[in-house]
Amino acid sequence: MAAINIIDIKKNYGSVPAVRGIDLSVADGEFIVLVGPSGCGKSTLLRMIAGLETVSDGEIQIAGRNVNKAEPAERDIAMVFQNYALYPHMSVRKNLEYGLKNRGTPRTEIDRRIAEVAEILEIGPMLERKPRQLSGGQRQRVAMGRAIVREPAAFLFDEPLSNLDAKLRVQMRVEIRRLQRRLKTTSIYVTHDQLEAMTLADRLVVMNGGLVEQVGTPVDVYDRPASLFVASFIGSPPMNILPLELVRRADGDGLLTLPDATDTLGIRPDDIFTEKPSEPSIRLDAIVELLEPIGGESHLHIRLDESNQTAIVTVPGRPDFSEAAKIPVYIRVASIHPFNRQTGRRTDDL
Amino acid sequence: MVENRPFLTLLAHLVLIVGVVVVVFPVYVAFIASTHGPNDFLSGVVPLTPSTHMIENYSTMLTAGMTNAGAPPIGPMMLNSLIMAIGVAVGKIAISILSAFAIVYFRFPFRTLAFWMIFITLMLPVEVRIVPTYKVVADLGMLNNYGGLIVPLIASATATFLFRQFFLTVPDELMEAARVDGAGPMKFFWDILLPLSITNIAALFIILFVLGWNQYLWPLIITTDQSLYTVVMGIQRMAAVADAEPRWNLVMSAVILAALPPVLVIVAMQRLFVKGLVETEK
Repeated sequence: MAAINIIDIKKNYGSVPAVRGIDLSVADGEFIVLVGPSGCGKSTLLRMIAGLETVSDGEIQIAGRNVNKAEPAERDIAMVFQNYALYPHMSVRKNLEYGLKNRGTPRTEIDRRIAEVAEILEIGPMLERKPRQLSGGQRQRVAMGRAIVREPAAFLFDEPLSNLDAKLRVQMRVEIRRLQRRLKTTSIYVTHDQLEAMTLADRLVVMNGGLVEQVGTPVDVYDRPASLFVASFIGSPPMNILPLELVRRADGDGLLTLPDATDTLGIRPDDIFTEKPSEPSIRLDAIVELLEPIGGESHLHIRLDESNQTAIVTVPGRPDFSEAAKIPVYIRVASIHPFNRQTGRRTDDL
Repeated sequence: MVENRPFLTLLAHLVLIVGVVVVVFPVYVAFIASTHGPNDFLSGVVPLTPSTHMIENYSTMLTAGMTNAGAPPIGPMMLNSLIMAIGVAVGKIAISILSAFAIVYFRFPFRTLAFWMIFITLMLPVEVRIVPTYKVVADLGMLNNYGGLIVPLIASATATFLFRQFFLTVPDELMEAARVDGAGPMKFFWDILLPLSITNIAALFIILFVLGWNQYLWPLIITTDQSLYTVVMGIQRMAAVADAEPRWNLVMSAVILAALPPVLVIVAMQRLFVKGLVETEK
C-alpha cells in the first residue's frame, strides 16, 4: 500500500506527444479512475506508472521513491490487463504463483496466499484448470487473483472489463469495487466507459488530448464539469450544449445572470422539463423529432426554436408525444452550466 | 462439396490412387529388389515380385556392409547420419529460436539490419557458397569430424523467420505481465515463450531432421574418412562401383534401412507436427 505521486509527466513518441504534462497525487488506498476517449493518453499514463513505457520527462513516485528508472517488477505494483494476459500453458494455480515464485516467496506462504485469494474470488475449484478452459468472467477473476496474490503497493487496471458482455461487466464492476474496499489497496483504473468510471472511482481523472481536463469525485465532476469536453463526456445521454443567444432570446424575464465570457450553455437532459417546474425556468419552443423509450424513462429528441439546434430531454415514464408535435420545454435556470467556447472552460469557476 | 455424385467420387478416388501408386511404386521396387539374390538383376529386367533373400541381404548389410565396394558397414553410417541429423536439427532450432527472440523482443542498434541480413541468407542455398564454406571449414581443421558435418549447416534463416512470425503473434501483454511478475528476459523465454513454441519446435524438428538426414553434397565433400560417412552418401559409394555391376540387392536394402529413421520420426511426431503447422495456441 502506498501513495503515488505523478509530477509533470510527459511522454513523446518521436515528435508526437501522447501525454503532455500531468500532475496527479493518489492517496494511499484511493481508487482513481482515468477516463477519456481513445487516444487521450490514459493508457500511456498507466503504462508509465507500471514501468512498461519509459518516461520522457517528469517524475513518478511510488511510496515516496522515484521509480522512473525502475523495472516493473521493482515497483511493487500489479497490473490487470485488458485481455487478461494469463499464461496459456500454465494452470490457474501456476499463473497465480508465478510472480511469487520469481520473488522467492517461501512455499508455505505461496500456498497460504493462493488459498486466501481462491477463497476471496471463489476460484478454488478451477485452480488446476488451464486458462482456455475458463469462461471470460472466470479468466477475469484469475487475472485479478494474480494481482491480489502479490499483495502489491498498488493495483493498475487497464480496461479490465471491456472484453466482457454487458451483464458480466456490471457484476464484475461491483466485485472490483467491493474487493478494493476490503483490501484498501491504492488502485488506478483506466476505462473509456464513463459509467464504469462514475461507479468505481473515489476520484475521477478526466483526460483529453494528453492533458487532464478535470480531477474530482464523480459527483463533483458530474455536477460541475470544468470544461465543455468533460460536460459532454461524462453523463449519458450527454449534456446538451446550446448557444447562449438561443436561450437569451427566450429569456423574456431576464432570469439569466452569467459571467461575461459565457457564450455557450450546458444543460443536462434531466434538467429540461416538458412541464413547467416550480423553480425559475426559461421556456423554449421545441419540435419533437424522436421519442426513445428505454424502460423507466424516455429520451426525447427535440429541435429548438425552429433552429437547427437539437437537444435531448430525459422524461420519466412513457409520455405520449407524436413526432413533429410542437411542445414547450422548460430549462431550470439554476442547473445551467456556463462555458466559453473559445477556451472550452467553465466561466463561473472561482 | 456436399453433393453426392458417384462419378465424381469415383474420379476423386481414381486420381488419389494414381497419385499414391506413382509415389509408392519406386519404394516398392526398392523393397522388392532388396529381397532378391545378387544375380537377379543381371538380366536387366527389374523384378516386381518378392524373392527369398530378404533376411540374408539385410543381415549382410547390417553386419558386414559392402566393404569391398569402398563403403563401410551401414550401422556406423546410420549412426553418423543420426548424429548429424540430430545435431543439425537441434542446433538450428536452438540458434534460430534465440535469434528470433532477440529480433522480436529486444531493441538494439541495427536490429532491422540484422534481421534483413538473416533474411537475405535465405537466398543463398548451401550449394552456392559451398566452396568458400569448404575453405573456412578446412582452415578451421574441421574436415573429417562431426563438427565439420554439423556446424556449417547449423544456422537457418527459414527457422528464424518461422519463429519470428510465431513470436509476433504472441500478445505483448504476456511479456508485460511477465515483466510485472518479475521475470527477466531469459526467464520469460524459458518459462513462457519456450513452452508456447513447443508445437512449432516439434514441427520444425521433423522438417530439419529429415533435411539433415538427407544431406548429400556436404558430407560428400567434407568427409574422406570412411568412419564418418553418412548413409545417404554411403549409398552413392555403393552404387558407383568401378568395373562391376552394382550389387543392387544390397544397395536397395541399404536404401530401405536409410529411409526408416525419417519415417519413424515422422510417424512418432505426426500429431505434434500437424498441430504445430495448423494450430496457434495462445
